[in-house]
Amino acid sequence: MEEKNTKAKGKLLSWLDERYDISGLIEFAKKKSVPKFRETIWYYFGGVALLLFVVQVISGILLLMYYKGTEDLAYESVKFISTKVSFGWLIRSVHSWSANLMVLAVFIHMFSVYFLKGFRKPRELTWYTGFGLLAISMAFGFSGYLLPWNELAFFATKVGTDIVGQVPLIGEPLLKLLRGGTDVTGATLSRFFGFHVAIFPGIFIILLTLHLLMIQRQGIAEPDDYKNLPPAEKKTIPFFPNFAMRELLIWLIVINILAILAVFFPWELGTKADPFSSAPVGIKPEWYFLFMFQVFKFLPGEILFLPGELVGVLLFGIGVLLWAIVPVWDKKTAKGNKNRLLTYVGIFVIIFIIVFTILGFILD
Amino acid sequence: MKIKLINISVSALLVILLSFSLTKAQAADQCIKCHLDLDDNHAKLFKTDVHFSKGISCAGCHGGDATSDDMDIAMSKEKGFIGVPSRVNRYEVCVNCHVDENKMKRYGSNIPTDQYENLKISIHFQPTFNNEGPIADCVTCHSVHDIKDVKDPASKVYPTKIVELCGSCHSSAEFMKQYNPGLPIDQVSKYRTSVHGHLNSKGDPNAAECASCHGSHEIFAVKDSRSLVYATNIPSVCSKCHSDAKLMAKYKIPTNQYANYVKSVHGVALLEKGDLSSPSCNDCHGNHGAVPPGVESISKVCGTCHVLNMELFEESPHKKAFDEHNYPECESCHGNHLVEPATDAMVGTQKPAVCVNCHSNEKNTKGFIVAGKMKTLIDSLKTEDSETKSILNEASQKGMDVSDATFSLKDVRQVLIQSRTTIHAFDLDKFKAQIDDGFNIVSKAKLSGEEAIDDYYYRRIGLGFSTVIVTLLVIGLYFKLRKLEKKS
Repeated sequence: MEEKNTKAKGKLLSWLDERYDISGLIEFAKKKSVPKFRETIWYYFGGVALLLFVVQVISGILLLMYYKGTEDLAYESVKFISTKVSFGWLIRSVHSWSANLMVLAVFIHMFSVYFLKGFRKPRELTWYTGFGLLAISMAFGFSGYLLPWNELAFFATKVGTDIVGQVPLIGEPLLKLLRGGTDVTGATLSRFFGFHVAIFPGIFIILLTLHLLMIQRQGIAEPDDYKNLPPAEKKTIPFFPNFAMRELLIWLIVINILAILAVFFPWELGTKADPFSSAPVGIKPEWYFLFMFQVFKFLPGEILFLPGELVGVLLFGIGVLLWAIVPVWDKKTAKGNKNRLLTYVGIFVIIFIIVFTILGFILD
Repeated sequence: MKIKLINISVSALLVILLSFSLTKAQAADQCIKCHLDLDDNHAKLFKTDVHFSKGISCAGCHGGDATSDDMDIAMSKEKGFIGVPSRVNRYEVCVNCHVDENKMKRYGSNIPTDQYENLKISIHFQPTFNNEGPIADCVTCHSVHDIKDVKDPASKVYPTKIVELCGSCHSSAEFMKQYNPGLPIDQVSKYRTSVHGHLNSKGDPNAAECASCHGSHEIFAVKDSRSLVYATNIPSVCSKCHSDAKLMAKYKIPTNQYANYVKSVHGVALLEKGDLSSPSCNDCHGNHGAVPPGVESISKVCGTCHVLNMELFEESPHKKAFDEHNYPECESCHGNHLVEPATDAMVGTQKPAVCVNCHSNEKNTKGFIVAGKMKTLIDSLKTEDSETKSILNEASQKGMDVSDATFSLKDVRQVLIQSRTTIHAFDLDKFKAQIDDGFNIVSKAKLSGEEAIDDYYYRRIGLGFSTVIVTLLVIGLYFKLRKLEKKS
């Protein structure tokens, strides 16, 4: 029986090999290895983010079959999906939860790369594309949040786009571009829908392809501690099948977590947005924007003759830019030296994000 | 003889003294003297005027010097003579004294001094279309030169006369169309058909007339909330007389109408909730032609608002029976002034159901059975509705969306309201058809609720299965990986 199976497998492989040179790919995968050390666990989060992106694409396509991106029908169509479509509630809940988990995975992946110094030469472009992927992931979240056209999303979008309007010089046109006018209306919904299902996925796929190609081309980055070990002490895990199986194991756990979250904590729809009603109490953006939102709430109306919000936008803008171009200003690491400042900055950013996110949750 | 002479002398002296004192002021009034000599009608009338009796001369209103018999002096402008006061502001002549408490006391009068204040804000004091002063001023109603005390039956504003006085303008289409063409002009003729009007015609000053309800000086448009006859003010206006036991005793009518009305569903709606569509006294009794509705017209009166109930009742078997027994239709079950909110307890075979007033197991049995069935139907629907709400609530608590089903239950309330109207047909089949609509809605909503709860458990069972399968895969993969890594 086993012999029969092996024979059949062999036949299939040779059929594929004849056409697609599978054996070459297998050989390549067998040769690929991943460093095995204390911090190997962080290598899996890129894959987790990838899995969640795939979940997003599949569940998003399913939602697209029923969703209507207009002011009159958006809320009703989401309600229809949640109540009338078979497993619609599950698809919607999975889409919402996996979006959040994906942003979390991307954040963890980014910080692990930052602390393991995976951004340094020759992987600068991998870092930049990765940073772009994080930005698009957050933009996905921001645009998707409005699509159910519920009260909370409506006003959170209003607040969020107001902040965009504070950007010097380009703020006003950018605000109009995002909103499709001066205020959040049905035009904003149509626009966000377009961004969410066409523009962002397009950019994301390009960046993701580049990101993955670069990783394949350059291999996985090795941290200094590992790189400086004598060759005999350098442990590796074969990429295929060992690392792939480990990744698969983690993916299965993530899928289990996702299913439990989707079933036990289904995403609420709330009440339909009414542009003429006053903003409800306790408007909050998605958790990954919460730290920024909270900082803006703490800012005074005026700082050194400048509007507080403008100062906030400028500071955040500079901070994000510095973070994005870390391969440019971090000369020490590039030369193979330790850069403690870099580590302290990273720790500060994490503490900053965690503290202000918690404050955002607990303070009204 | 001596005593008799003394008596005559004393009497003569008294008469002389009295005549002297009475004519002292009037003798000084050269205006009236002269004008009487001229056979002036105004002067003749003024001799009967209440003001003349109080010692007020012509000059009191016209100005001038009443003590001078020289016409040039008496009627000179220097002495303040104004001639005939202008139509525009003639009221000011009256106001001069009637707002001044001290002046009024000086002439021995204790009548109120707020008439002008009240008149100023009344609808009558608005200017005429050609700006010739107020539409109605003091003279318009009280007249001039022959003004009488309001309690004097000869007064133009005496209760038995005031109706014609008001009617002199309000019954004139020619006059009224200048100011309010939409206002009816049949108030007086209607009034004459009312109980109040009949009594008034017979000379009863206590019977309500125009001023009793509309007020005298402070008259406002009916739609003005300050008006005494504004919907929310009417019950208290009527109760001024109708709750006065002493006054009503001679008419032999009860005085509890107001006390009952304020507790009734109509009274609470109008007076507490400010619902102006709720009937006040005049909506059932009429206003100018106020009479208690006859037994035969009660359903028509109630039917002006409760149209469907009236129509259904008139086609019902009760109509004939009530007519035969001369029962007051709606009133038989709902009462009159104390109409309580109609609850479902009014139907059935046990008190407080009103059906048992006529129907029992022994008497009028068919109606008794129908009443029992109707009660069962309406109670069953309410119970089903309540149970369904609990099921939907449970589903909602479990995080399931049952908003559509919950919303559909609002229609059950509508069905119940409609059935409470349909009940007036006293037709079991009609009533059942109505209630069945409610049962259909409830059963659909109940099914949705039950399905939602089942779905809730189905989701968890499904999750359990998938979690177990994925967990088994994880375990299998883990062991496979361990084996693989051990080998390598």
